[in-house]
Amino acid sequence: MVTLEKIAHLAEECRFDSMGPAASPAVVGVDAEKLSTLGEGTRHDVCASTFSPRETPLPGICHAFTQDGRCVSLFKTLYTNHCTHQCSYCTNAINCSSKARAFSYTPEELAKITLSLYRSNYIEGLFLSSGAGRDEDRIMEKMVETARLLRQKFAFSGYIHLKVLPGSARAHIKEAVELADRVSINLEAASASHMNEICATKNYESDILQRQRYIRDMLSDTAKNTNASLPAGQTTQLVVGVAGESDEDIFKRVLYEYKEIGVRRAYYSAFSPQRGTPFENRKAQPLWREHRLYQMDWLFRVYHFQPGEIRHAFNDNGFLSNADPKMAIAREFMDKILDPNTATFQELLRVPGIGPRSAKRIVSFRKRQAIAAKAELAAMGVRIKRASPFLKINGWRDTTLEMWQA
Amino acid sequence: MKIPDNFLYYLSLHEDCNERLLARAEDLTAGEVEVSLHPEVARIKRMVYAVMGEVHRMKAFVRLSFLGTSVLYGFFKPRHKIGEHICDHFAHRNAGIIVVLGNGSESWVSIFREDRIWQDNGQGLSETLDRLKPALHCTEDESNVESLWQVYYDSQYCPERKNLAAFRRHMPRRDQEAAGLRLVQNKKNITLEGFFSD
Repeated sequence: MVTLEKIAHLAEECRFDSMGPAASPAVVGVDAEKLSTLGEGTRHDVCASTFSPRETPLPGICHAFTQDGRCVSLFKTLYTNHCTHQCSYCTNAINCSSKARAFSYTPEELAKITLSLYRSNYIEGLFLSSGAGRDEDRIMEKMVETARLLRQKFAFSGYIHLKVLPGSARAHIKEAVELADRVSINLEAASASHMNEICATKNYESDILQRQRYIRDMLSDTAKNTNASLPAGQTTQLVVGVAGESDEDIFKRVLYEYKEIGVRRAYYSAFSPQRGTPFENRKAQPLWREHRLYQMDWLFRVYHFQPGEIRHAFNDNGFLSNADPKMAIAREFMDKILDPNTATFQELLRVPGIGPRSAKRIVSFRKRQAIAAKAELAAMGVRIKRASPFLKINGWRDTTLEMWQA
Repeated sequence: MKIPDNFLYYLSLHEDCNERLLARAEDLTAGEVEVSLHPEVARIKRMVYAVMGEVHRMKAFVRLSFLGTSVLYGFFKPRHKIGEHICDHFAHRNAGIIVVLGNGSESWVSIFREDRIWQDNGQGLSETLDRLKPALHCTEDESNVESLWQVYYDSQYCPERKNLAAFRRHMPRRDQEAAGLRLVQNKKNITLEGFFSD
């Protein structure tokens, strides 16, 4: 404990430090319409976690939630909403008839807003996307410039996620990789032919996949030079259901992304028709489809299910039904009833209602004493209603038809 | 959530924690607390989770304002004894700036400088700020970050995804009040019909 006077004195002295409060600029006169329009332009972009495994890991914190239940942890905005691409689902595209007025930030302005919101603890960092403007390279340069200002001039240590614009130059991507915690290029479609259906101006192979490979190669280069950057890696996002693709098409693409590109995560955004766009009258995709795709994604990425197993969750047309894919897979593959006292960790993970954490708890609990009752499993986080048809404890099991129901 | 190795620290911050409970918990490992079904250990586990949960949500929901250039202050009234812990967190995040958190009856002050934390605590928030003002010759901040935030926050809402149950689950009213947030419901768009259907 020190006195207030001593603390005040310490703060006064900080004025002479290189990183002192002098580096906290005030923002004045930001156009509310601009802030709102450019913010709205990213409403359908997903940013789920701000966890960044840096040397001192940056935690994931959600600073607020909107009334749709999604978190607001980053200042998620477009640099500009001016765009020359013709994506038929997007309100920023040049062929959208009810397009908002065109706005753009300057790097300095954007950096100052980010810093003010960060200091006041509204956000964990910046998520910067953009329309392509007249020339994607020029906009990409400005986005990188914003990140550089934040990191170098304002000594900003928060999280930065930069979107890489399709078709941007390798040199700009390299700078983005050096400055950001995470970069991403939106795939939007599951394949080149699906992309052709929704956007006439983007080349799937060269504008998107090739840029993802650039990032992959840059990361493997930095690993060799032990100059590790981009702690949270690269990710991608797809618009679900806009081009009539099946869930299996999406799964095939995502497998490629995880195995060949090494993306950390894929995000799914269910298509909803936007006013004024050419796809205004197309049907919105149900939100449960997005949810089931995330479950499928989790089974592959977190539970380490084999692709061959996951394929059993798709129906004949390649779609997931509105039910837990893990249950469908378990009905197919779990032919014997498991005893949680003897099953391996991997076997436990395959039981619906048991996740990685509860499986770990079971393994650690039974080292000390045998599991004797369902209540004990429930206390370890197992969802009994789902799990009990697949488990027996001490030779006794529930007789239920649930397992055989379609 | 996982029980961390330093769970005794979190337990000691709980409003109902006492010497006897701490002594009981000292004999346990984090792994035991996590899986044990003994009623007392289960209670310890619940208490640790309660404190960790409040710590996490206060780090998320407490908002700070500038007083001059070298003080950040915010309203904060936690249930558990986490004032110092949260104040230090914000001091680390804003090196070289005095962070003052508090409410009508108590306050916490921290500054992070030269790799160490300096702390004080005392009377209510406004008294502490009044004592700091003359020493720093500072005035209230002119830039209105809150209105910037409100515009941005409103722009992020997707009406087609409206899900008030999830919103309420993630932002419990109790925690919003503890962090001094004005309820973030978008009041200007509320209609009578909407009020009854919610």
